[in-house]
Amino acid sequence: MSRARPPAVLRVSKLSVGWTGRPVCGQASFTLPAGRSLALVGPNGSGKSTLLRAILGLLEPLSGSVQLLGVEVDERRASFRAQVSAVLDDDAWFPALTVAEHLYLVARGHGVGDAQDEVDALLDEFGLTGHADVLPTALSSGQRRRLLLAAGLVRPRSLLVLDEPEQRLDTATRQLLAERLNAEKEAGGAVLVATHDPDLLAAVADRAVIVGDETRLVSTAEAVDALRPGVL
Amino acid sequence: MSEVECAVGPAERTPVPAARSMRRYNAAVARKHAHGGVTALLSDVYYSVVIVGIAVLMAIGALGQLPVHEPPVGTSHATSLAGLTAVAYLALAGALIGSAGRLGPVGAGGAEATWWLPLPVDRRGLLRPNALRMVALGGVASAVVATVLAFAVPGGTSPGRSVAGVAVAGVAAVVVAGLLQVWTAARVAVRLGDLLLAAAPVAAAAAVLGSWQPESVLAVPWWGIGLLGAVAVGGAFALDALLGRIPARRLRESGAVAAQATGALVSLDTRELGRALGDRLARQQRRRSLRMRLVGGPVRALVVADALVLARSPRHLGQILVTALVPALVLATPDLTGSVQLALAFLVAGSFAMLATGEASRRAEMSPGVDRLLPMGATATRRARLIVPGVVMTLWTLVALGSVGLWRADPLPWLALAVLAGPAWAGGALRSAFRPAPKWDSALVSTPAGAVPLGAAAVLARGPDVVVLGLLPATIAVLAGSVPQTLLLVQAVATAIALRWGSSTETRTLMDRLAEAQEAAGEARK
Repeated sequence: MSRARPPAVLRVSKLSVGWTGRPVCGQASFTLPAGRSLALVGPNGSGKSTLLRAILGLLEPLSGSVQLLGVEVDERRASFRAQVSAVLDDDAWFPALTVAEHLYLVARGHGVGDAQDEVDALLDEFGLTGHADVLPTALSSGQRRRLLLAAGLVRPRSLLVLDEPEQRLDTATRQLLAERLNAEKEAGGAVLVATHDPDLLAAVADRAVIVGDETRLVSTAEAVDALRPGVL
Repeated sequence: MSEVECAVGPAERTPVPAARSMRRYNAAVARKHAHGGVTALLSDVYYSVVIVGIAVLMAIGALGQLPVHEPPVGTSHATSLAGLTAVAYLALAGALIGSAGRLGPVGAGGAEATWWLPLPVDRRGLLRPNALRMVALGGVASAVVATVLAFAVPGGTSPGRSVAGVAVAGVAAVVVAGLLQVWTAARVAVRLGDLLLAAAPVAAAAAVLGSWQPESVLAVPWWGIGLLGAVAVGGAFALDALLGRIPARRLRESGAVAAQATGALVSLDTRELGRALGDRLARQQRRRSLRMRLVGGPVRALVVADALVLARSPRHLGQILVTALVPALVLATPDLTGSVQLALAFLVAGSFAMLATGEASRRAEMSPGVDRLLPMGATATRRARLIVPGVVMTLWTLVALGSVGLWRADPLPWLALAVLAGPAWAGGALRSAFRPAPKWDSALVSTPAGAVPLGAAAVLARGPDVVVLGLLPATIAVLAGSVPQTLLLVQAVATAIALRWGSSTETRTLMDRLAEAQEAAGEARK
């Protein structure tokens, strides 16, 4: 008797992405079930972020399909935006909103009931309580990265997408991030992360996709190996 | 939206709020942190209304004061002022649709793209104010242009009807661009706008060559304007209903363009504005140029690079070409022909062409890294950058003053003057390109045009000041209608001064330098 497989949160089939009609990497195909995580690895410019953007509906794919919970991805649908939380490398802030108010905006916009409590808890977890009432532009780049991560976690989600979340984070916060992502999986969420960090990869990913001319699905161990200098 | 089941996240959930409440939250927080109040807002509105009013009245006054001369003898091809106005409206339509397409017209850039677009709230409600603003802007901009043209071309259609008709057409143009943004890519509106804009100089040439001389333009009846208005309103409602269908990627693209364009306006940089509206649609990949093989030293490297920047910018090439024909167009319009108008056309059109030739220098000012890598001093680098603008503007001046010479039936002295005067523009191009940005973080001066940083006028005057000095002899020749030999000598001296001044790397003002010299002399006496 076969074991029951968890339902697929994300299904990517023969996805080809690129700019002005030219693919930047080989076609990607993978399935990400609930409670699992998948990492995208590859050198700079290999197409990891482009793949993520296409999966999020922020870039029109050249070919192939992306399904979230069995439905073709269309970021114009409010239900899609409610299910997917993405932490990309954005660095834009409302000039009048403080750190806490940015998080509150996200929580309220997603219908979080006890928004203020959730915001306070995440500010504490990410070491931003002392900066709650300052503008994000007054933070260091690492603190702004922590704020973006907190914004991705302050709202409900079924799929969490992160683009190189380890960038600009100190060692302690990287460990916190790894713990948070594992907790995400245990709670039944799916995690898709593009990373260059072998430690984060080993700690979090169940499988990995090496993005390049021939994009392929590999084991985490193989991906960690591939991140060693000179391999990719 | 009904609540969506999610696997992870806060347990306590409430319905997703309306988009309006999210906008109100942002506005309320902004108000809470703002230093100004309603009075400041009203004063800003007052200033805006006053400055637009003053600008319109000044333009109308200046146009009314222009002397009208007899048409030149022997001109077989000519058009009327009304004919030119029709061409101006064609250009306005192109500029409006093209700009609307480049700016979206609906967009969400910066913080709105990052924090608003991923929310599961009704996106249409978030975008509605932005869309309304752009549609209104299209109407107001068109009305301002129509007001100036309606008073400049008396007779024919009543000014009220012209202004109303053009304003409604402006609204309709932005609405059409918005609908194109929903259904296709913004490129369609951009191409349509560019096509109309490119058609304007062709239409002007056709009007002159075909001796098209209408007495009035836009004789559209009121019912026609009403019908167009009804179509525009219907289109606006359709656009509003479809706002939620615009993909985030298009909203982000156009939002980024709008943010860059706003930054260019704040820093009073017209070239940056051009880049904001043009460069994102430019090809991101280029073939390796064979011209780079000509590089054989730092000076040649700079010259080849400057020429390549210009050659790869069709917008600037078009700007140079079209402006070169402006003096000829003025000569072919009997209602406009006169020495003063001709001199004004020469200086204004030349200044626009000059700005186009300074593009590479402006980029070097903004990203000076490559220049610093060259084994040359700052002054030598600056002088090498005079070469391309000098050559291009000499050709431009040959065309512009050559047409004056033909009109005066004595082309040779005018061509000689063009050769001597042309390089002077390069001095203006460089001085304008290497000007510093206005200091918005220093003291601001309150004016009827709103808050202006101290020294903004001096910043804006860099470039035009060299033009005034360097082209003064040529302008006098255009006004006087002849080129005496002494004037050629004076022009050569003026050009030399303009080139020296324009390529100077001195950043202090004359007053600063005099004050410092005085201070140093005082110290020496002690």
